[in-house]
Amino acid sequence: MNATNTKMMTSKTRLLVLLVLALLLTATAHAAAPGITGPTFNLTAQASYLSQPDGAAVYSWGYGCDPTKALPGFAPTAITSPFCNAMQVPGPTLIVTEGQTVIVNLTNNLPTAAGNTSILFPGFQVTAAAAATQPSASCTASTAAVQGLLTTEATPGCTVAYTFTASSPGTRAYYSGSQGDLQVEMGLYGAIIVLPSTAPTNGSCPFHNTAAGLNALGTALVTGGENDFRLSTTGAAYHLTQSCYDREYLFQFSEMDPNIHRKALAQVTDIANCTVTASRPVCPTTLEVPTEPYQPAYFMINGRSMPDDMDPNYATEYPHQPYNGNPHMHPGELTLIRVIGQGRWQHPFHEHGNHVRILARDGNLIVSQSNPAMLAGRLEFTTDTTPGQAFDGIFYWTAKGLNWDAYGHSPSSNDGNATLSCTPDANGYNTGTAAQTAINYYEWCQDHNKPLQVAPFGDVAGGGPATLPDPNIFANGPWYGGSPYLGPDATLRATGCMPTNALQTNAPNCGTTGTTPPSGTIANSPSGEAGFAFMWHSHNEREITTNNIFPGGMLMMMLVDSREFVIDESN
Amino acid sequence: MKKLYQDVLFVLLCCLTPLVVNAQSFRVQCPTSTITHPDPSHAGVNNSEPPYVGPTYTGTNGYPSAPANVNGAIKCQQIGGGDGLSTMGDGAQIYMFAFGPLSGLADIANGLPGTEFPNVFNTVYPGGAFLPGDPATTIGAGSGPNQIPIGSSPTTLFTYNGAVGLVNDPTAQADNPSACDPGVSGFCDTGHVDPRAIIDIGVMNGNIPAPLLAFDEDDEVFFTLTNVGMIMRPDLFEQHTVHFHGYPNASSFYDGVPDASVAINIGGSFTYYYMAPDAGTYFWHCHITPPEHLQMGMVAQLYVRPRQDRVPAGQSLYTALVAQQGDNRTKCDSTQDILCSNPVPAVNTGATNPAAVYSAAVSGTNPNGPRSGYAYNDGDGSTYYDVEYPIQIHGFDPNFHFVGMTFNPEEFNDMKDKYFLLNGRSYPDTVTPGPLATQVTDGKMHFSQPLPSIINIPAGGRALLRISDLDVTEYQTLASLGIPMTVIGFNAKLLRDQTGNNMYYNSNSITLAGGESLDVILDTCVVRSTLSVPSSTCTTAMPTGTYYLYTPNLDHLSNDAENFGGLMTEVHIN
Repeated sequence: MNATNTKMMTSKTRLLVLLVLALLLTATAHAAAPGITGPTFNLTAQASYLSQPDGAAVYSWGYGCDPTKALPGFAPTAITSPFCNAMQVPGPTLIVTEGQTVIVNLTNNLPTAAGNTSILFPGFQVTAAAAATQPSASCTASTAAVQGLLTTEATPGCTVAYTFTASSPGTRAYYSGSQGDLQVEMGLYGAIIVLPSTAPTNGSCPFHNTAAGLNALGTALVTGGENDFRLSTTGAAYHLTQSCYDREYLFQFSEMDPNIHRKALAQVTDIANCTVTASRPVCPTTLEVPTEPYQPAYFMINGRSMPDDMDPNYATEYPHQPYNGNPHMHPGELTLIRVIGQGRWQHPFHEHGNHVRILARDGNLIVSQSNPAMLAGRLEFTTDTTPGQAFDGIFYWTAKGLNWDAYGHSPSSNDGNATLSCTPDANGYNTGTAAQTAINYYEWCQDHNKPLQVAPFGDVAGGGPATLPDPNIFANGPWYGGSPYLGPDATLRATGCMPTNALQTNAPNCGTTGTTPPSGTIANSPSGEAGFAFMWHSHNEREITTNNIFPGGMLMMMLVDSREFVIDESN
Repeated sequence: MKKLYQDVLFVLLCCLTPLVVNAQSFRVQCPTSTITHPDPSHAGVNNSEPPYVGPTYTGTNGYPSAPANVNGAIKCQQIGGGDGLSTMGDGAQIYMFAFGPLSGLADIANGLPGTEFPNVFNTVYPGGAFLPGDPATTIGAGSGPNQIPIGSSPTTLFTYNGAVGLVNDPTAQADNPSACDPGVSGFCDTGHVDPRAIIDIGVMNGNIPAPLLAFDEDDEVFFTLTNVGMIMRPDLFEQHTVHFHGYPNASSFYDGVPDASVAINIGGSFTYYYMAPDAGTYFWHCHITPPEHLQMGMVAQLYVRPRQDRVPAGQSLYTALVAQQGDNRTKCDSTQDILCSNPVPAVNTGATNPAAVYSAAVSGTNPNGPRSGYAYNDGDGSTYYDVEYPIQIHGFDPNFHFVGMTFNPEEFNDMKDKYFLLNGRSYPDTVTPGPLATQVTDGKMHFSQPLPSIINIPAGGRALLRISDLDVTEYQTLASLGIPMTVIGFNAKLLRDQTGNNMYYNSNSITLAGGESLDVILDTCVVRSTLSVPSSTCTTAMPTGTYYLYTPNLDHLSNDAENFGGLMTEVHIN
């Protein structure tokens, strides 16, 4: 075996181990859009290393919370054990409310050779000056901050203050305005979320079902139901009721060319260690890192590559990459996705499962020419992420239109959950008061009890149009829930293994284990979750690799969960 | 360094409890009667599209035993997943992982969709044994300059559009006659197939793009993927899947992502079941190791025709769209559903359905033949077209394909496309009529690239270009010289705001990434008799002649080392 093959085997094995570990973790890891609250933020820019799933630790620069200042507030409050280290990628998500005066104090703790640094806040009217409080006496009002090409910059070791009014709600990018081709590549970027200060003008947000989350038998609520992880107190992202949402996720897309990072580290180290000698009469003082030709090998969402992105927020193994990408939702829930392109390439982000309504770009709501209370943003199944640009979109998933009952309801079953009723609202969904604690809240009633399969499938009735392939000739995926049906109850019934107190009418051949359906998958357990998993990924498919290894890169699994499964976005 | 997933899949490989195991290997499915499309008396009602006269279900509480109005029909198609060779614009043959047709062979060879009604699909091949390479072998491809125009003067006609391999099921006929689909007389149809025919036709029969799938709103679709294996890569025990890209409210089971579902192994068939979603231009592709299988060629086109085509002749399109609001499945109430795109238009133009559109849509003769119609349920006739052309943009990296043929690990970062393809061909092959054929390892000619992309528009007519992009490395731009492009749809959704205003825009170019689609109208009419009704008579047309679609990504106007060709084709106003 030659050296290349050995390397291949090693990295493959390592990734396999990592992947399996990640799968174990993803069973409980979820996402929200966590960040820090202000409106005054004390940030620092400095260097550290980013972890990648191929085992690499990539030298990078990032914004973080100034460790010499008080710890910031964190949101949403339901997420426990948050942290904000002095360096992270993406930088801390700044969460403010419309109308607030935002002050961002940025201290330049980058290696001196990196020169000045700064932050641009596109979309806001920013004033900048040397901060009143400086880290050291050597930073004076005249030396701490200098005017750069695009904005006022902090000189090495000193602090600049940016002040602006959070004039309107929305999701926007922030990033370095100093030598951006290098500094943004190195990781100096982040997001700012402005929440609306008042409720929507055309009607406040509708019922938000935080009581969802039933135990496996569907007989009682889990204590307290589900927590609310929304940042917005009005339930909306903007001032229109169409921007109301039930869950929200923030995804920042970027890529890294490790050669640039290696060269930056080499030069930073050399400059720091260089002393003038006879053989080296001049020491360099500034970086000369070429940023072209550009050949990225890491394609990241929120600074992590798959499968790391599906580990929890604030997972301890990623001290400098605290944010994840692991969305979950129940049928019918309006899910706000806040997406920012942070690198230098465009990425087509394909959301499996349904379309996304584009609400806004860079905080600008897109409304109808004839009625400003109606939307005009496009519906897209692949949403372009563009460097420096943000968009907000609304996504939801229901089983509408499948033409079969996704819950595998079965009128002749003895299982109470198999014989639930479905009472349609004006739009055809099961949303009445009685349904709000039912497993099949938001079921699409037109297909209620409608069979999929020709022959009965476990305790799911037959009579439908389709025949599944012979189980001996297909392969299961790690996120396969175990049956075509949604939720543990339906999956256990379909696969013939029932809880001990339940009877089966159609297929009495329950296995002896009772709780281990045959798929045996651990990322989406048939007995515990059995969600519908959808891949959300870059459709420039070579970007779903990590340094030439598939799978990896810009890829995450989104889970639509039955309401038997409690979605807990905390850690 | 690839295929980690296979290891994982292999580790996790296991099965559903075999409740009803038929020991099946290959198998097709195409029922003649379902709950949504009942035909209890076997009258053959699902062998044509009925007129649209009202909602399928007006109630919402469950489903009644029979729909109020039966809309749509049943459509079936079979494809093989395997490998093949294709011919590039510079004459080079390139190895592909690819899908090929295993039904609708004649239609596919004619550049049409291969999606058939049950009475066509459930037909046993009348010609005895297939010849490897068919239909190219029977028709005689290869006698000329690598391709022959079929339809004009073929030496032998090949008209079979049924499911390759379908045969009488003698066991069921003897033991369990109730399993026979009684809608087809003359043989017991259980979807039982003879693997010999599947292998004779399916091996090394890959197409680029893969077989075209097209059907009508309200149809039930049975799309069978038969995995015949990749004979030039016997080391790979690859599964393949079908990802219906853009299907709204998809189930993960039929979404084709192997990580989230099941994937069919070599020697088996998996029938994907879809209720036709909203009209629009979608596409489909394999979702196994996407950077590899998509680059290697497992990409295809798919579109759904609107029920507006089936509104009886002379009736108001606006009224018909209002009628669609009576069924919760087909309505679009912007105040209730943030993800619906075609509310009733802000302006009632009074447009009615021309007789030609209606009669072609409800004809049972060939659902795939060229016809006029609409791109969407617009209610105002604004998406009317006289001719439609599916155009898929793609790129091939010959180095990656070479490595993919030679048992070596592939490098994804270095991927660099050198062939830029419209419907699997580079200019000048894009304007060669008829199917392109390539000789493969069995020495036979196979139709490798059935779709030319010459756009023929009658003077004064409107052409709908259903453009999709499945490049896996970069964004690509397609520009029109001379004829303005009107973009009417994006990602299989009508461009219309929540108030009903059309948001179409004119352009001379469009830019797409892999995984995106849009709809463009090329209108060759300068003045119409009724300005607001695109189907009305054109009184002043643009001059006849040859126009061009080409890419302003100028480095993409090449065929590998040849500095001429690439992403370009011709538009003929006749």
